[in-house]
Amino acid sequence: MNLVGLALRNLRRRPVRTGLSILGIGLAVGSALALIALSRSIKDSTQEGIDEMGDDLVVMQKGASDIFGGFIPEQMVEHIAAIRGVVRASGELFMFAPSAGHTSVLTLGWPDTSYLWKKVPLREGRVPQQGERHVAVLGEAAAASLGKKLGDELELVGETFRVIGIANYTTVVNRGLVLVPLADLQEASYRTRQVTMIHVNVDRGGGPAELSRVRSSIEALGNVTASTANDVLNNDRNFAILKAVSLAVSIIAVAIGALNVLTALVMATQERTREIGIFAAIGWSRMRIITSIVSEGVVMCAFGCILGELFSFAAALVFPHIPTIGDLISVKPHVAVIVPILLAAFALCIIGALLPAWRAAQLIPADALRRI
Amino acid sequence: MSAMYAPTPRPNVMMNVMNLRPSLEIDRALGSRPLISLHGVSRLYDGGAITALQNVDLQIDAGDCMAIVGASGSGKSSLVNMLCGIDHPSSGTVVWEGRPQRTRQDWAKLRRLSIGIVFQEFNLIPTLTALENVELALFGRGLSGSRRLARAATVLEYVGLQHRPNNLITRLSGGERQRVAIARAIVNAPALLIGDEPTGNLDSTSAANVAALMFRLCEDYGMTLVLVTHDEKLAARCPRQVRIKDGVIVEDTAIPDPLLELQGTA
Repeated sequence: MNLVGLALRNLRRRPVRTGLSILGIGLAVGSALALIALSRSIKDSTQEGIDEMGDDLVVMQKGASDIFGGFIPEQMVEHIAAIRGVVRASGELFMFAPSAGHTSVLTLGWPDTSYLWKKVPLREGRVPQQGERHVAVLGEAAAASLGKKLGDELELVGETFRVIGIANYTTVVNRGLVLVPLADLQEASYRTRQVTMIHVNVDRGGGPAELSRVRSSIEALGNVTASTANDVLNNDRNFAILKAVSLAVSIIAVAIGALNVLTALVMATQERTREIGIFAAIGWSRMRIITSIVSEGVVMCAFGCILGELFSFAAALVFPHIPTIGDLISVKPHVAVIVPILLAAFALCIIGALLPAWRAAQLIPADALRRI
Repeated sequence: MSAMYAPTPRPNVMMNVMNLRPSLEIDRALGSRPLISLHGVSRLYDGGAITALQNVDLQIDAGDCMAIVGASGSGKSSLVNMLCGIDHPSSGTVVWEGRPQRTRQDWAKLRRLSIGIVFQEFNLIPTLTALENVELALFGRGLSGSRRLARAATVLEYVGLQHRPNNLITRLSGGERQRVAIARAIVNAPALLIGDEPTGNLDSTSAANVAALMFRLCEDYGMTLVLVTHDEKLAARCPRQVRIKDGVIVEDTAIPDPLLELQGTA
């Protein structure tokens, strides 16, 4: 027998309380993991989606708080395309467009002459022809969730579109997209001659220096910023808020989990005051008494973390089935998320266990032995 | 001074448990030396409203076999609590082998290495087996788990419980529980064994067996034995008897040790 074995014995003495405490920690850790993984995956999915489009630079309105929040005049695309070193540029208007059934789908509007149409990985059908209006290409996941196939009609922002193609993008965000001609989306959203961002491909032979020069040239046009996809998302206020809120809620959740440990151990040490007196009477040092009680907290925390992990994996399986967001995110529990949360959970549980342990270690053995 | 308070040779009980050495004679031959002494010890409770011990002076020599006798509430348990450091005096000093014991750490170490306590209420952990209860007292000794278990098993065998090492405490009789408590108390080969009414909760047969076991430890290993009891018959078996009343030692009598007498006349 060792201290962990002793801790397990003690925890088994109160199976309901121990179980509930472990469940509390599990829910806390699971919630924290799921929340942070969710916020991380939203950002990652968005970045993967932008990366899949093959952009070197993304141009947005200067000072735009988030990727949906800035608008650029469409003619800016021609100015950017004219910059030396820019291979091609395309404007894009995007929005969450309301569809039938009160669902919103991420909808992108591209000029019918844009090079982006040529890069659409069509599974079936085709992309819009020049001048063709009120047609749409759906990502596979969007088609599935909307229940549409080639030739079907789709209602978006009060307009009717005919499905002419299904694209099999690989990233989750792009699989949930609806692509329509830019002019249609501009009209429907009252954003005539405006785009949200401009995709830019740069001559890659020039290396980072050329990319930097092009970037400066674009920004010199005024009132725009040119960034890599990663920078765009790092500066996005929505993602920053999402991250902060997730972190705050996670910290609260894990702290509540630790409070469960504290409560359980306070009760356990009060009930076992006499036993603690026995340990002291047979010569256990204060440190050993503290360690034995903290061990119980750590054992509970370990089981809680395992449970929390299982909860978070379950959440990862469930999230994709949530309407409206399920098509846009892919929650992947990641070591970079799991490790800090588990470390935080253990740290908080140890802190939670230290209070009752310290109190127990302060007991005068003779007093403790008198307790019933 | 340092020569006077040279460490007492420890009867390393469990290392020698299978080949009993007559350490009583060896220790006594070294002469009487105080193992533990109380100097002006008082213990007050409730801010001085209750006086459990009042200015007690007591010296216990290595190898002593001593009974502390008194009525209920006389201060016996308070005195024994001072002797093993599970309570602390309001005033006065407790000295172990010449060194005043002041801190909890000092006392914890002493109880771990040199003092074994047997309580009236057994004070065993009910969810653990007999073997595990004994093993608990070996924590912090730097022994591996297998060595702890082996040593605990040896001591259980010594107290006659070799057939029930894996029984939970709740499955043992009162006499068996007290033997487990004795095994736990002696597993570290203490210099001082304290029994606080060790037979108080036992039937007469079990009480006789437990008392016999404790006296055997005293005789076989020269372990210093302090027995708190209100049983005059049991107290009479101890060569030294200390009577306590209202927190004050009122009588301290010793039957002369024939061996020491002989040495003195030689």
